[in-house]
Amino acid sequence: MKTCIACGMPMQKPADFAGGDMTKDYCIYCARPDGTMQSFAEKRAGMIRFLQETQGMEKAAAAEIAEASMRKLPAWQAQFRKGAAADGDAE
Amino acid sequence: METTRLQQKQQTRQKILAAAYRVYAQKGFSAPTAAIAKEAGVSHGSIFAHFASQAQLVEALLEQFGTQLGAGLHDLAENNADLQGLLRAHLALLARHEQFYLHLITEKGQLPPQAKLTFANLQSVAAYHFGRVLQHTAAAQNGVPPYMLFNTWMGLVHYYLMNKELFSPDAPLLPRYTDELVHTFLTLAQIGEEQK
Repeated sequence: MKTCIACGMPMQKPADFAGGDMTKDYCIYCARPDGTMQSFAEKRAGMIRFLQETQGMEKAAAAEIAEASMRKLPAWQAQFRKGAAADGDAE
Repeated sequence: METTRLQQKQQTRQKILAAAYRVYAQKGFSAPTAAIAKEAGVSHGSIFAHFASQAQLVEALLEQFGTQLGAGLHDLAENNADLQGLLRAHLALLARHEQFYLHLITEKGQLPPQAKLTFANLQSVAAYHFGRVLQHTAAAQNGVPPYMLFNTWMGLVHYYLMNKELFSPDAPLLPRYTDELVHTFLTLAQIGEEQK
């Protein structure tokens, strides 16, 4: 089973994949409307918003968890090597 | 030859992780690595040939546990469209790991940072799937935020687990209280439905 390289979600059926395309490595929730993968800043902001909306977390706590999760995902390795997490708030 | 050696190494690593799961489930995360070595049937030194430290062993175990439980949560949400089905399936999944999960939620403050992340990731998977169903409840329609409904459910479950000695000292708690917990939460979530 594939897992999304950008958020870690298991992807089993076509509807889980970006554009329903099972050859893609990222999921429907990590795709922009045009089908391309969200940027680091977009994903980080989306994850923080998701944590706040679904669990009521305080923003700084949500940001810490979002970054810790992203740090383990293949899509964001280069950004963390460059120290992009620190720039996320500015975007 | 090289492949066989690699496979053996992998098998021993898995054996240690499986033993660590059983020992921590029984004794909590402060259990000594010697107890894990004994349970796995390997020498004490063998543990440190596979994991640089006890913290690294705990992190690897929690990562594996988080991945498995997260996939389980994802599956059950796919197969349970209504709230009652989701609540029951959630408790059935947690019940399979009751002792280990109980130690995780009660001791996570003392565990490596990975424990906090594993727990947060599990909650996120559950919160996402619950949110999809909870938004249709009468409580949500009446202005209770979905996160508050989800946190209420988790609070209820964790309160019972963390006070297991009061509610079910001699037997697994979740199978015993599933009906009552589910009924209570469903009733709360549906309050106000009659007035609509």
